[in-house]
Amino acid sequence: MGKKRKQTESQEVVKKDDTAPPRPKRTLLGWKDGGVAKKSDSAVFRNKEKVLVTCSRRIMSRYRHLMMDVVSLLPHCKKDSKVESKETKGATLNELVELRNCSSILFFECRKQKDLYLWMAKSPSGPSAKFLVNAVHTMEELKLTGNHLKGSRPILTFSANFDQEPHWKLLKEMIIQIFGTPKDHGKVKPFHDHVFVFSIVDRHIWFRNYQISVPHNETDKVDRGGLDKMTLVEVGPRFCLNPIKIFGGSFGGPTLYENPFYISPNLERAQMKKAKATKYVKKVKAKTRRKMHEIENPLEPDEFADLWKE
Amino acid sequence: MNEDDGIDVDDEELESKSDSEPEVLRLKEPLKNAVYNEDGLAEKLEDIAWPEDVDWKHKLTVDHEQAPDIDVEDDLAREMAFYTQALDGTRKAFAILQSAGLPFLRPPDYYAEMVKSDSHMLKVKGKLLVEKKKIEEAEERKKAREAKKIAKEVQAQKNKERAKRKKEDIESVKKWRKQRQQSGFAKGKDEDMGFNFDGNSFERSKKKRPGVSPGDRSGGFRKQGWKSKSGMENKKRERRESKFGHGGRKGMKKQNTAETTNDFRDFNKGDVKKQRRNGANRLL
Repeated sequence: MGKKRKQTESQEVVKKDDTAPPRPKRTLLGWKDGGVAKKSDSAVFRNKEKVLVTCSRRIMSRYRHLMMDVVSLLPHCKKDSKVESKETKGATLNELVELRNCSSILFFECRKQKDLYLWMAKSPSGPSAKFLVNAVHTMEELKLTGNHLKGSRPILTFSANFDQEPHWKLLKEMIIQIFGTPKDHGKVKPFHDHVFVFSIVDRHIWFRNYQISVPHNETDKVDRGGLDKMTLVEVGPRFCLNPIKIFGGSFGGPTLYENPFYISPNLERAQMKKAKATKYVKKVKAKTRRKMHEIENPLEPDEFADLWKE
Repeated sequence: MNEDDGIDVDDEELESKSDSEPEVLRLKEPLKNAVYNEDGLAEKLEDIAWPEDVDWKHKLTVDHEQAPDIDVEDDLAREMAFYTQALDGTRKAFAILQSAGLPFLRPPDYYAEMVKSDSHMLKVKGKLLVEKKKIEEAEERKKAREAKKIAKEVQAQKNKERAKRKKEDIESVKKWRKQRQQSGFAKGKDEDMGFNFDGNSFERSKKKRPGVSPGDRSGGFRKQGWKSKSGMENKKRERRESKFGHGGRKGMKKQNTAETTNDFRDFNKGDVKKQRRNGANRLL
Protein backbone atom coordinates (compact mmCIF):
# COMPACT_ATOMS: atom_id res chain seq x y z
CA MET A 1 0.00 0.00 0.00
CA GLY A 2 2.58 2.48 1.16
CA LYS A 3 4.78 1.87 -1.80
CA LYS A 4 2.01 2.49 -4.29
CA ARG A 5 1.01 5.72 -2.68
CA LYS A 6 4.53 7.02 -2.86
CA GLN A 7 4.74 6.33 -6.56
CA THR A 8 1.61 8.31 -7.24
CA GLU A 9 3.03 11.13 -5.21
CA SER A 10 6.16 11.27 -7.28
CA GLN A 11 4.15 11.21 -10.45
CA GLU A 12 2.18 14.14 -9.23
CA VAL A 13 5.37 16.00 -8.68
CA VAL A 14 6.37 15.35 -12.26
CA LYS A 15 3.06 16.60 -13.50
CA LYS A 16 3.46 19.76 -11.55
CA ASP A 17 6.76 20.24 -13.29
CA ASP A 18 5.51 19.95 -16.82
CA THR A 19 2.57 22.32 -16.22
CA ALA A 20 1.30 23.89 -19.44
CA PRO A 21 2.72 22.41 -22.67
CA PRO A 22 0.81 19.35 -23.81
CA ARG A 23 2.60 16.18 -24.70
CA PRO A 24 3.67 16.28 -28.36
CA LYS A 25 2.91 13.50 -30.72
CA ARG A 26 5.39 10.74 -30.65
CA THR A 27 7.51 10.42 -33.75
CA LEU A 28 8.34 7.08 -35.19
CA LEU A 29 11.89 7.12 -33.99
CA GLY A 30 11.12 9.34 -31.06
CA TRP A 31 11.95 6.78 -28.40
CA LYS A 32 15.41 6.21 -29.73
CA ASP A 33 16.84 9.64 -29.17
CA GLY A 34 13.96 11.16 -27.38
CA GLY A 35 15.94 14.15 -26.24
CA VAL A 36 16.65 15.30 -29.75
CA ALA A 37 13.15 14.79 -30.93
CA LYS A 38 11.65 16.68 -28.05
CA LYS A 39 14.26 19.30 -27.64
CA SER A 40 11.71 21.98 -28.13
CA ASP A 41 9.75 21.07 -25.04
CA SER A 42 11.93 19.21 -22.64
CA ALA A 43 9.34 19.35 -19.92
CA VAL A 44 7.86 16.05 -21.02
CA PHE A 45 11.20 14.44 -21.39
CA ARG A 46 10.93 10.75 -20.77
CA ASN A 47 13.89 8.51 -20.54
CA LYS A 48 13.06 5.24 -22.24
CA GLU A 49 16.53 3.93 -22.47
CA LYS A 50 16.95 0.19 -22.89
CA VAL A 51 20.34 -1.42 -22.85
CA LEU A 52 21.22 -4.68 -24.46
CA VAL A 53 23.96 -6.58 -22.64
CA THR A 54 25.75 -9.42 -24.37
CA CYS A 55 29.13 -10.96 -24.62
CA SER A 56 31.18 -12.84 -27.13
CA ARG A 57 31.51 -16.59 -27.13
CA ARG A 58 34.29 -18.24 -25.15
CA ILE A 59 34.28 -15.48 -22.59
CA MET A 60 36.18 -16.15 -19.39
CA SER A 61 34.08 -16.96 -16.35
CA ARG A 62 35.37 -13.98 -14.44
CA TYR A 63 34.33 -11.62 -17.19
CA ARG A 64 31.02 -13.39 -17.56
CA HIS A 65 30.42 -12.80 -13.87
CA LEU A 66 31.25 -9.16 -14.38
CA MET A 67 28.65 -9.02 -17.13
CA MET A 68 26.07 -10.67 -14.90
CA ASP A 69 26.85 -8.11 -12.21
CA VAL A 70 26.26 -5.32 -14.67
CA VAL A 71 22.99 -6.95 -15.65
CA SER A 72 21.90 -7.09 -12.03
CA LEU A 73 22.78 -3.43 -11.60
CA LEU A 74 20.83 -2.20 -14.61
CA PRO A 75 17.12 -2.97 -14.26
CA HIS A 76 16.53 -1.41 -17.68
CA CYS A 77 18.75 -3.85 -19.52
CA LYS A 78 18.04 -6.91 -21.60
CA LYS A 79 20.38 -9.80 -21.66
CA ASP A 80 20.98 -11.69 -24.83
CA SER A 81 22.75 -14.91 -25.64
CA LYS A 82 26.37 -14.92 -26.54
CA VAL A 83 27.41 -13.73 -29.95
CA GLU A 84 29.98 -15.46 -32.11
CA SER A 85 32.98 -13.18 -31.94
CA LYS A 86 33.71 -13.42 -35.66
CA GLU A 87 30.47 -11.73 -36.52
CA THR A 88 30.80 -9.13 -33.85
CA LYS A 89 31.85 -6.52 -36.30
CA GLY A 90 28.96 -4.23 -36.77
CA ALA A 91 25.98 -5.54 -38.58
CA THR A 92 24.91 -8.48 -36.44
CA LEU A 93 25.03 -6.56 -33.25
CA ASN A 94 23.17 -3.61 -34.70
CA GLU A 95 20.53 -5.95 -35.96
CA LEU A 96 20.28 -7.59 -32.59
CA VAL A 97 19.82 -4.26 -30.86
CA GLU A 98 17.06 -3.32 -33.22
CA LEU A 99 15.44 -6.70 -32.82
CA ARG A 100 15.34 -6.34 -29.06
CA ASN A 101 14.03 -2.79 -29.22
CA CYS A 102 16.99 -1.40 -27.40
CA SER A 103 18.59 2.01 -27.72
CA SER A 104 22.07 1.18 -26.57
CA ILE A 105 24.32 -1.79 -26.06
CA LEU A 106 27.06 -2.97 -23.77
CA PHE A 107 29.06 -5.67 -25.49
CA PHE A 108 31.70 -7.61 -23.57
CA GLU A 109 34.21 -9.00 -25.97
CA CYS A 110 36.77 -11.45 -24.72
CA ARG A 111 39.82 -12.18 -26.80
CA LYS A 112 42.49 -14.82 -26.35
CA GLN A 113 40.84 -15.91 -23.14
CA LYS A 114 42.49 -13.07 -21.34
CA ASP A 115 41.68 -9.62 -22.65
CA LEU A 116 38.30 -8.07 -22.13
CA TYR A 117 37.07 -5.27 -24.34
CA LEU A 118 33.88 -3.39 -23.67
CA TRP A 119 31.89 -1.81 -26.43
CA MET A 120 29.52 0.93 -25.41
CA ALA A 121 27.29 2.01 -28.25
CA LYS A 122 24.21 4.09 -28.87
CA SER A 123 22.03 2.60 -31.53
CA PRO A 124 21.30 3.08 -34.35
CA SER A 125 23.10 6.30 -35.11
CA GLY A 126 26.06 6.04 -32.80
CA PRO A 127 28.40 6.96 -31.35
CA SER A 128 30.20 3.91 -30.01
CA ALA A 129 33.24 3.58 -27.83
CA LYS A 130 35.61 0.72 -27.30
CA PHE A 131 37.38 0.20 -24.02
CA LEU A 132 39.94 -2.18 -22.68
CA VAL A 133 38.77 -3.43 -19.29
CA ASN A 134 41.35 -3.78 -16.55
CA ALA A 135 41.39 -4.54 -12.86
CA VAL A 136 38.18 -6.53 -12.78
CA HIS A 137 36.66 -7.52 -9.46
CA THR A 138 33.22 -9.06 -9.47
CA MET A 139 30.49 -8.90 -6.87
CA GLU A 140 31.17 -12.52 -6.00
CA GLU A 141 34.26 -11.53 -4.15
CA LEU A 142 33.72 -11.88 -0.45
CA LYS A 143 35.64 -8.82 0.58
CA LEU A 144 32.98 -6.56 -0.91
CA THR A 145 30.49 -6.67 1.92
CA GLY A 146 27.81 -4.23 0.84
CA ASN A 147 24.42 -5.05 -0.58
CA HIS A 148 21.58 -2.97 -1.91
CA LEU A 149 18.14 -3.20 -3.42
CA LYS A 150 17.89 -4.69 -6.85
CA GLY A 151 16.47 -2.03 -9.10
CA SER A 152 16.96 1.03 -6.98
CA ARG A 153 18.21 3.97 -9.00
CA PRO A 154 21.88 4.74 -8.54
CA ILE A 155 23.26 8.19 -7.96
CA LEU A 156 25.96 8.79 -10.56
CA THR A 157 28.99 10.70 -9.41
CA PHE A 158 31.57 11.92 -11.87
CA SER A 159 34.94 13.42 -11.24
CA ALA A 160 35.18 16.97 -12.49
CA ASN A 161 37.79 16.16 -15.14
CA PHE A 162 35.05 14.58 -17.24
CA ASP A 163 34.13 18.08 -18.36
CA GLN A 164 37.60 19.10 -19.47
CA GLU A 165 37.97 17.41 -22.85
CA PRO A 166 35.42 16.75 -25.58
CA HIS A 167 35.88 13.01 -25.69
CA TRP A 168 35.41 12.73 -21.94
CA LYS A 169 32.28 14.85 -22.25
CA LEU A 170 30.88 12.51 -24.85
CA LEU A 171 31.75 9.46 -22.79
CA LYS A 172 30.14 11.03 -19.74
CA GLU A 173 26.92 11.58 -21.62
CA MET A 174 26.94 8.00 -22.86
CA ILE A 175 27.58 6.68 -19.38
CA ILE A 176 24.77 8.78 -17.94
CA GLN A 177 22.37 7.41 -20.49
CA ILE A 178 23.45 3.79 -20.26
CA PHE A 179 24.17 3.41 -16.55
CA GLY A 180 21.54 5.77 -15.25
CA THR A 181 18.30 3.95 -14.61
CA PRO A 182 15.25 5.60 -16.23
CA LYS A 183 13.09 7.27 -13.66
CA ASP A 184 9.77 5.66 -14.45
CA HIS A 185 10.97 2.25 -15.39
CA GLY A 186 8.75 -0.62 -14.28
CA LYS A 187 11.30 -2.49 -12.23
CA VAL A 188 12.60 0.56 -10.43
CA LYS A 189 12.23 0.87 -6.68
CA PRO A 190 11.61 4.35 -5.36
CA PHE A 191 14.64 4.61 -3.10
CA HIS A 192 18.28 5.44 -3.55
CA ASP A 193 20.62 3.19 -1.70
CA HIS A 194 23.66 2.98 -3.91
CA VAL A 195 26.12 5.25 -5.70
CA PHE A 196 28.15 4.72 -8.82
CA VAL A 197 31.53 6.34 -9.01
CA PHE A 198 33.02 7.20 -12.39
CA SER A 199 36.37 8.76 -11.93
CA ILE A 200 39.15 9.56 -14.36
CA VAL A 201 42.50 8.75 -12.88
CA ASP A 202 45.56 8.24 -15.06
CA ARG A 203 43.46 8.57 -18.24
CA HIS A 204 41.33 5.58 -17.23
CA ILE A 205 37.71 5.56 -16.13
CA TRP A 206 37.40 3.78 -12.81
CA PHE A 207 34.07 2.34 -11.77
CA ARG A 208 32.97 1.68 -8.19
CA ASN A 209 29.60 0.88 -6.68
CA TYR A 210 28.87 1.69 -3.05
CA GLN A 211 25.93 0.99 -0.84
CA ILE A 212 24.68 3.99 1.12
CA SER A 213 23.97 3.00 4.67
CA VAL A 214 22.31 5.58 6.85
CA PRO A 215 21.44 4.69 10.41
CA HIS A 216 17.75 5.19 10.33
CA ASN A 217 15.61 6.55 13.04
CA GLU A 218 12.95 8.01 10.84
CA THR A 219 12.06 6.60 7.47
CA ASP A 220 11.88 9.40 4.99
CA LYS A 221 12.98 12.57 6.61
CA VAL A 222 16.54 12.44 7.70
CA ASP A 223 17.83 15.11 9.95
CA ARG A 224 21.29 16.42 9.23
CA GLY A 225 22.73 14.24 11.96
CA GLY A 226 21.54 11.14 10.15
CA LEU A 227 23.16 12.27 6.93
CA ASP A 228 26.40 13.00 8.71
CA LYS A 229 26.48 9.50 10.07
CA MET A 230 26.08 8.11 6.58
CA THR A 231 28.67 5.56 5.57
CA LEU A 232 29.36 3.74 2.33
CA VAL A 233 30.04 0.06 1.93
CA GLU A 234 31.40 -1.21 -1.32
CA VAL A 235 29.15 -3.60 -3.19
CA GLY A 236 31.13 -4.17 -6.35
CA PRO A 237 31.87 -4.83 -9.11
CA ARG A 238 35.06 -2.92 -9.76
CA PHE A 239 36.58 -2.32 -13.12
CA CYS A 240 38.71 0.16 -14.93
CA LEU A 241 38.01 1.25 -18.51
CA ASN A 242 40.81 2.30 -20.76
CA PRO A 243 39.28 4.06 -23.78
CA ILE A 244 40.72 2.91 -27.08
CA LYS A 245 38.61 4.51 -29.76
CA ILE A 246 35.39 6.40 -30.25
CA PHE A 247 33.52 5.87 -33.49
CA GLY A 248 30.88 8.04 -35.08
CA GLY A 249 28.45 5.24 -35.83
CA SER A 250 27.27 2.27 -33.92
CA PHE A 251 30.00 -0.37 -34.24
CA GLY A 252 31.60 1.50 -37.10
CA GLY A 253 31.69 4.80 -38.84
CA PRO A 254 34.42 7.40 -38.77
CA THR A 255 36.89 7.37 -35.93
CA LEU A 256 36.39 10.46 -33.82
CA TYR A 257 38.95 9.77 -31.17
CA GLU A 258 41.91 7.53 -30.76
CA ASN A 259 43.71 7.13 -27.46
CA PRO A 260 47.30 8.17 -28.15
CA PHE A 261 48.53 6.43 -25.02
CA TYR A 262 46.92 3.11 -25.71
CA ILE A 263 49.07 0.03 -26.00
CA SER A 264 47.24 -3.12 -26.88
CA PRO A 265 47.79 -5.97 -24.45
CA ASN A 266 49.15 -8.02 -27.34
CA LEU A 267 51.88 -5.50 -27.94
CA GLU A 268 52.61 -5.32 -24.27
CA ARG A 269 52.99 -9.06 -24.02
CA ALA A 270 55.13 -9.15 -27.15
CA GLN A 271 57.41 -6.53 -25.74
CA MET A 272 57.73 -8.35 -22.47
CA LYS A 273 58.64 -11.48 -24.37
CA LYS A 274 61.13 -9.53 -26.41
CA ALA A 275 62.73 -8.12 -23.32
CA LYS A 276 63.14 -11.62 -22.01
CA ALA A 277 64.56 -12.77 -25.32
CA THR A 278 67.15 -10.02 -25.47
CA LYS A 279 68.41 -11.11 -22.10
CA TYR A 280 69.60 -14.39 -23.56
CA VAL A 281 70.91 -12.78 -26.73
CA LYS A 282 72.89 -10.34 -24.65
CA LYS A 283 74.43 -13.15 -22.71
CA VAL A 284 75.50 -14.95 -25.87
CA LYS A 285 76.87 -11.71 -27.30
CA ALA A 286 78.89 -11.08 -24.20
CA LYS A 287 80.32 -14.56 -24.41
CA THR A 288 81.42 -14.19 -28.01
CA ARG A 289 82.85 -10.76 -27.29
CA ARG A 290 84.89 -12.19 -24.49
CA LYS A 291 86.12 -14.94 -26.75
CA MET A 292 87.15 -12.45 -29.42
CA HIS A 293 88.92 -10.39 -26.83
CA GLU A 294 90.82 -13.41 -25.61
CA ILE A 295 91.86 -14.29 -29.13
CA GLU A 296 92.93 -10.74 -29.88
CA ASN A 297 94.94 -10.29 -26.74
CA PRO A 298 96.54 -13.64 -26.01
CA LEU A 299 98.35 -14.05 -22.73
CA GLU A 300 102.12 -13.80 -22.89
CA PRO A 301 103.76 -17.20 -22.48
CA ASP A 302 104.71 -17.58 -18.86
CA GLU A 303 108.46 -18.03 -18.62
CA PHE A 304 108.21 -19.67 -15.23
CA ALA A 305 105.49 -22.04 -16.27
CA ASP A 306 107.62 -25.18 -16.20
CA LEU A 307 110.09 -24.12 -13.57
CA TRP A 308 109.04 -26.79 -11.11
CA LYS A 309 108.40 -29.41 -13.74
CA GLU A 310 111.15 -31.94 -13.85
CA MET B 1 88.79 -6.58 -38.06
CA ASN B 2 85.82 -6.38 -40.32
CA GLU B 3 84.02 -9.01 -38.38
CA ASP B 4 84.77 -7.21 -35.17
CA ASP B 5 83.27 -4.05 -36.50
CA GLY B 6 80.13 -5.88 -37.52
CA ILE B 7 79.68 -7.33 -34.08
CA ASP B 8 80.19 -4.00 -32.46
CA VAL B 9 77.50 -2.44 -34.58
CA ASP B 10 75.18 -5.27 -33.73
CA ASP B 11 75.86 -4.76 -30.06
CA GLU B 12 75.08 -1.11 -30.21
CA GLU B 13 71.90 -1.77 -32.08
CA LEU B 14 70.80 -4.36 -29.61
CA GLU B 15 71.58 -2.22 -26.61
CA SER B 16 69.74 0.75 -27.97
CA LYS B 17 66.78 -1.46 -28.75
CA SER B 18 66.65 -3.04 -25.34
CA ASP B 19 67.00 0.37 -23.74
CA SER B 20 64.19 1.85 -25.75
CA GLU B 21 61.75 -1.00 -25.17
CA PRO B 22 60.92 -0.32 -21.55
CA GLU B 23 60.64 3.36 -22.42
CA VAL B 24 57.83 2.60 -24.83
CA LEU B 25 56.09 0.58 -22.16
CA ARG B 26 56.42 3.08 -19.36
CA LEU B 27 56.74 6.54 -20.80
CA LYS B 28 53.91 6.05 -23.25
CA GLU B 29 54.70 8.87 -25.56
CA PRO B 30 51.42 9.99 -27.09
CA LEU B 31 51.06 8.97 -30.70
CA LYS B 32 51.45 11.90 -33.04
CA ASN B 33 49.01 10.63 -35.64
CA ALA B 34 46.19 9.70 -33.29
CA VAL B 35 42.81 10.82 -34.54
CA TYR B 36 41.18 13.52 -32.49
CA ASN B 37 38.16 15.02 -34.18
CA GLU B 38 36.92 17.53 -31.64
CA ASP B 39 34.18 18.91 -33.87
CA GLY B 40 32.89 15.45 -34.61
CA LEU B 41 32.84 14.60 -30.93
CA ALA B 42 30.98 17.79 -30.08
CA GLU B 43 28.50 17.14 -32.85
CA LYS B 44 27.86 13.62 -31.65
CA LEU B 45 27.46 14.84 -28.12
CA GLU B 46 24.86 17.30 -29.30
CA ASP B 47 23.13 14.50 -31.18
CA ILE B 48 22.72 12.16 -28.29
CA ALA B 49 22.56 14.58 -25.41
CA TRP B 50 19.43 15.01 -23.41
CA PRO B 51 17.94 18.49 -23.45
CA GLU B 52 19.83 21.05 -21.44
CA ASP B 53 17.07 21.81 -19.02
CA VAL B 54 16.15 18.23 -18.30
CA ASP B 55 15.10 17.71 -14.73
CA TRP B 56 17.83 16.57 -12.40
CA LYS B 57 15.60 13.73 -11.24
CA HIS B 58 16.19 11.98 -14.54
CA LYS B 59 19.91 12.20 -14.43
CA LEU B 60 20.82 11.90 -10.76
CA THR B 61 24.34 12.99 -11.56
CA VAL B 62 26.73 14.78 -9.26
CA ASP B 63 30.13 16.19 -10.13
CA HIS B 64 32.96 16.04 -7.71
CA GLU B 65 36.12 18.09 -7.75
CA GLN B 66 38.84 15.52 -7.45
CA ALA B 67 42.16 15.93 -5.72
CA PRO B 68 44.56 16.89 -8.52
CA ASP B 69 47.21 14.22 -8.05
CA ILE B 70 46.11 10.75 -7.17
CA ASP B 71 48.73 8.07 -7.29
CA VAL B 72 47.22 5.22 -9.28
CA GLU B 73 49.67 2.70 -7.94
CA ASP B 74 48.81 3.52 -4.35
CA ASP B 75 45.70 1.39 -3.82
CA LEU B 76 44.71 2.96 -0.53
CA ALA B 77 44.94 6.54 -1.74
CA ARG B 78 43.07 5.73 -4.93
CA GLU B 79 40.24 3.92 -3.17
CA MET B 80 40.05 6.69 -0.62
CA ALA B 81 39.64 9.21 -3.43
CA PHE B 82 36.79 7.17 -4.91
CA TYR B 83 35.18 6.80 -1.53
CA THR B 84 35.27 10.51 -0.83
CA GLN B 85 33.87 11.19 -4.26
CA ALA B 86 31.00 8.81 -3.62
CA LEU B 87 30.33 10.17 -0.15
CA ASP B 88 30.45 13.77 -1.25
CA GLY B 89 28.25 13.02 -4.24
CA THR B 90 25.73 11.21 -2.09
CA ARG B 91 25.56 14.09 0.38
CA LYS B 92 24.90 16.56 -2.43
CA ALA B 93 22.34 14.31 -4.09
CA PHE B 94 20.50 13.68 -0.85
CA ALA B 95 20.43 17.38 -0.11
CA ILE B 96 18.78 18.00 -3.49
CA LEU B 97 16.35 15.13 -3.02
CA GLN B 98 15.49 16.32 0.44
CA SER B 99 14.82 19.83 -0.73
CA ALA B 100 12.61 18.43 -3.49
CA GLY B 101 10.71 16.46 -0.89
CA LEU B 102 11.24 13.12 -2.57
CA PRO B 103 11.63 9.92 -0.65
CA PHE B 104 15.09 8.54 -0.96
CA LEU B 105 15.77 6.29 2.00
CA ARG B 106 14.54 2.78 2.20
CA PRO B 107 12.21 2.38 5.17
CA PRO B 108 13.39 -0.31 7.57
CA ASP B 109 10.35 -2.47 6.96
CA TYR B 110 10.73 -2.44 3.19
CA TYR B 111 11.89 -5.81 2.05
CA ALA B 112 12.64 -6.57 -1.56
CA GLU B 113 15.04 -8.48 -3.70
CA MET B 114 18.61 -7.46 -3.22
CA VAL B 115 21.48 -7.46 -5.66
CA LYS B 116 23.32 -10.13 -3.72
CA SER B 117 21.46 -13.20 -2.60
CA ASP B 118 21.05 -14.15 1.03
CA SER B 119 23.24 -17.21 0.62
CA HIS B 120 26.01 -15.02 -0.75
CA MET B 121 25.63 -12.56 2.11
CA LEU B 122 25.82 -15.51 4.51
CA LYS B 123 29.11 -16.45 2.93
CA VAL B 124 30.34 -12.89 3.32
CA LYS B 125 29.32 -12.93 6.95
CA GLY B 126 31.04 -16.25 7.48
CA LYS B 127 34.21 -14.89 6.03
CA LEU B 128 34.07 -11.83 8.23
CA LEU B 129 33.56 -14.02 11.27
CA VAL B 130 36.46 -16.24 10.31
CA GLU B 131 38.66 -13.21 9.87
CA LYS B 132 37.63 -11.85 13.23
CA LYS B 133 38.35 -15.18 14.84
CA LYS B 134 41.74 -15.30 13.18
CA ILE B 135 42.61 -11.88 14.52
CA GLU B 136 41.49 -12.82 18.00
CA GLU B 137 43.48 -16.01 17.96
CA ALA B 138 46.56 -14.20 16.78
CA GLU B 139 46.15 -11.71 19.60
CA GLU B 140 45.79 -14.48 22.13
CA ARG B 141 48.91 -16.14 20.88
CA LYS B 142 50.74 -12.86 21.14
CA LYS B 143 49.56 -12.40 24.68
CA ALA B 144 50.63 -15.91 25.65
CA ARG B 145 54.04 -15.27 24.17
CA GLU B 146 54.43 -12.11 26.18
CA ALA B 147 53.26 -13.79 29.37
CA LYS B 148 55.82 -16.49 28.81
CA LYS B 149 58.52 -13.89 28.42
CA ILE B 150 57.50 -12.21 31.66
CA ALA B 151 57.39 -15.53 33.48
CA LYS B 152 60.89 -16.26 32.31
CA GLU B 153 62.09 -12.93 33.61
CA VAL B 154 60.43 -13.50 36.97
CA GLN B 155 62.04 -16.92 37.23
CA ALA B 156 65.44 -15.47 36.45
CA GLN B 157 64.94 -12.81 39.10
CA LYS B 158 64.03 -15.46 41.64
CA ASN B 159 67.08 -17.54 40.83
CA LYS B 160 69.25 -14.50 41.17
CA GLU B 161 67.80 -13.68 44.55
CA ARG B 162 68.27 -17.22 45.74
CA ALA B 163 71.90 -17.19 44.69
CA LYS B 164 72.37 -13.88 46.42
CA ARG B 165 70.90 -15.16 49.66
CA LYS B 166 73.08 -18.21 49.53
CA LYS B 167 76.11 -16.03 49.06
CA GLU B 168 75.10 -13.84 51.93
CA ASP B 169 74.64 -16.81 54.19
CA ILE B 170 78.05 -18.13 53.33
CA GLU B 171 79.49 -14.69 53.88
CA SER B 172 77.91 -14.39 57.30
CA VAL B 173 79.29 -17.76 58.32
CA LYS B 174 82.73 -16.69 57.15
CA LYS B 175 82.42 -13.50 59.11
CA TRP B 176 81.47 -15.36 62.18
CA ARG B 177 84.45 -17.67 61.76
CA LYS B 178 86.75 -14.70 61.42
CA GLN B 179 85.34 -13.18 64.55
CA ARG B 180 85.95 -16.39 66.37
CA GLN B 181 89.47 -16.50 65.11
CA GLN B 182 90.08 -12.95 66.22
CA SER B 183 88.81 -13.64 69.67
CA GLY B 184 91.20 -16.59 69.85
CA PHE B 185 88.59 -19.32 69.96
CA ALA B 186 87.52 -18.23 73.40
CA LYS B 187 85.15 -20.67 74.95
CA GLY B 188 82.09 -20.09 77.06
CA LYS B 189 80.43 -16.78 76.72
CA ASP B 190 81.95 -15.95 73.34
CA GLU B 191 80.98 -19.28 71.95
CA ASP B 192 77.44 -18.77 72.95
CA MET B 193 77.32 -15.33 71.51
CA GLY B 194 78.88 -16.50 68.28
CA PHE B 195 76.09 -18.87 67.61
CA ASN B 196 73.15 -16.68 67.24
CA PHE B 197 70.82 -19.54 66.74
CA ASP B 198 67.22 -19.15 67.60
CA GLY B 199 65.45 -21.72 69.65
CA ASN B 200 63.92 -23.38 66.68
CA SER B 201 66.87 -23.32 64.37
CA PHE B 202 67.30 -27.07 64.59
CA GLU B 203 63.69 -27.84 64.13
CA ARG B 204 62.75 -29.16 60.76
CA SER B 205 60.53 -27.03 58.65
CA LYS B 206 57.58 -28.81 57.16
CA LYS B 207 58.19 -27.37 53.76
CA LYS B 208 59.37 -29.60 51.02
CA ARG B 209 62.98 -28.81 50.16
CA PRO B 210 64.16 -28.18 46.63
CA GLY B 211 66.23 -30.76 44.90
CA VAL B 212 64.67 -33.75 46.56
CA SER B 213 64.46 -36.93 44.53
CA PRO B 214 60.92 -37.72 43.52
CA GLY B 215 60.98 -41.10 45.30
CA ASP B 216 61.66 -39.55 48.68
CA ARG B 217 58.29 -39.22 50.33
CA SER B 218 59.59 -37.62 53.50
CA GLY B 219 60.53 -34.55 51.50
CA GLY B 220 64.24 -34.84 52.17
CA PHE B 221 63.87 -34.68 55.94
CA ARG B 222 65.20 -38.16 56.60
CA LYS B 223 68.52 -37.37 55.00
CA GLN B 224 69.00 -34.25 57.06
CA GLY B 225 68.70 -35.73 60.54
CA TRP B 226 72.08 -35.16 62.20
CA LYS B 227 71.59 -38.15 64.49
CA SER B 228 71.59 -40.60 61.67
CA LYS B 229 74.70 -39.22 60.08
CA SER B 230 77.13 -41.81 61.40
CA GLY B 231 77.20 -44.21 64.31
CA MET B 232 80.66 -43.17 65.49
CA GLU B 233 79.87 -39.54 66.06
CA ASN B 234 76.65 -40.54 67.62
CA LYS B 235 78.35 -42.68 70.25
CA LYS B 236 80.97 -40.07 70.99
CA ARG B 237 78.28 -37.52 71.46
CA GLU B 238 76.43 -39.75 73.82
CA ARG B 239 79.50 -40.40 75.91
CA ARG B 240 80.29 -36.75 76.11
CA GLU B 241 76.81 -35.95 77.08
CA SER B 242 76.91 -38.56 79.78
CA LYS B 243 80.10 -36.93 81.04
CA PHE B 244 79.33 -33.25 80.59
CA GLY B 245 75.59 -33.22 80.43
CA HIS B 246 73.37 -31.68 77.84
CA GLY B 247 71.70 -28.40 78.29
CA GLY B 248 70.57 -26.96 81.59
CA ARG B 249 72.09 -24.26 83.74
CA LYS B 250 75.79 -24.43 84.32
CA GLY B 251 75.71 -22.73 87.68
CA MET B 252 73.90 -25.63 89.25
CA LYS B 253 76.60 -28.01 88.13
CA LYS B 254 79.38 -25.97 89.65
CA GLN B 255 77.91 -25.80 93.08
CA ASN B 256 78.93 -28.35 95.67
CA THR B 257 76.46 -30.74 97.00
CA ALA B 258 76.59 -32.90 100.13
CA GLU B 259 78.07 -35.75 98.18
CA THR B 260 80.85 -33.77 96.58
CA THR B 261 81.87 -32.16 99.82
CA ASN B 262 82.24 -35.55 101.42
CA ASP B 263 84.08 -37.02 98.49
CA PHE B 264 87.76 -37.17 99.19
CA ARG B 265 88.73 -39.39 96.30
CA ASP B 266 90.97 -36.85 94.65
CA PHE B 267 92.29 -35.34 97.83
CA ASN B 268 96.01 -36.03 98.42
CA LYS B 269 97.40 -34.42 101.46
CA GLY B 270 101.08 -35.21 100.89
CA ASP B 271 101.64 -34.18 97.27
CA VAL B 272 101.17 -30.43 97.17
CA LYS B 273 102.48 -30.13 93.63
CA LYS B 274 100.01 -32.61 92.28
CA GLN B 275 97.26 -31.10 94.32
CA ARG B 276 97.92 -27.68 92.83
CA ARG B 277 97.92 -29.02 89.33
CA ASN B 278 94.69 -30.81 89.95
CA GLY B 279 93.21 -27.74 91.54
CA ALA B 280 94.26 -25.67 88.61
CA ASN B 281 92.75 -28.19 86.30
CA ARG B 282 89.50 -28.18 88.05
CA LEU B 283 89.36 -24.44 88.21
CA LEU B 284 89.99 -24.07 84.61
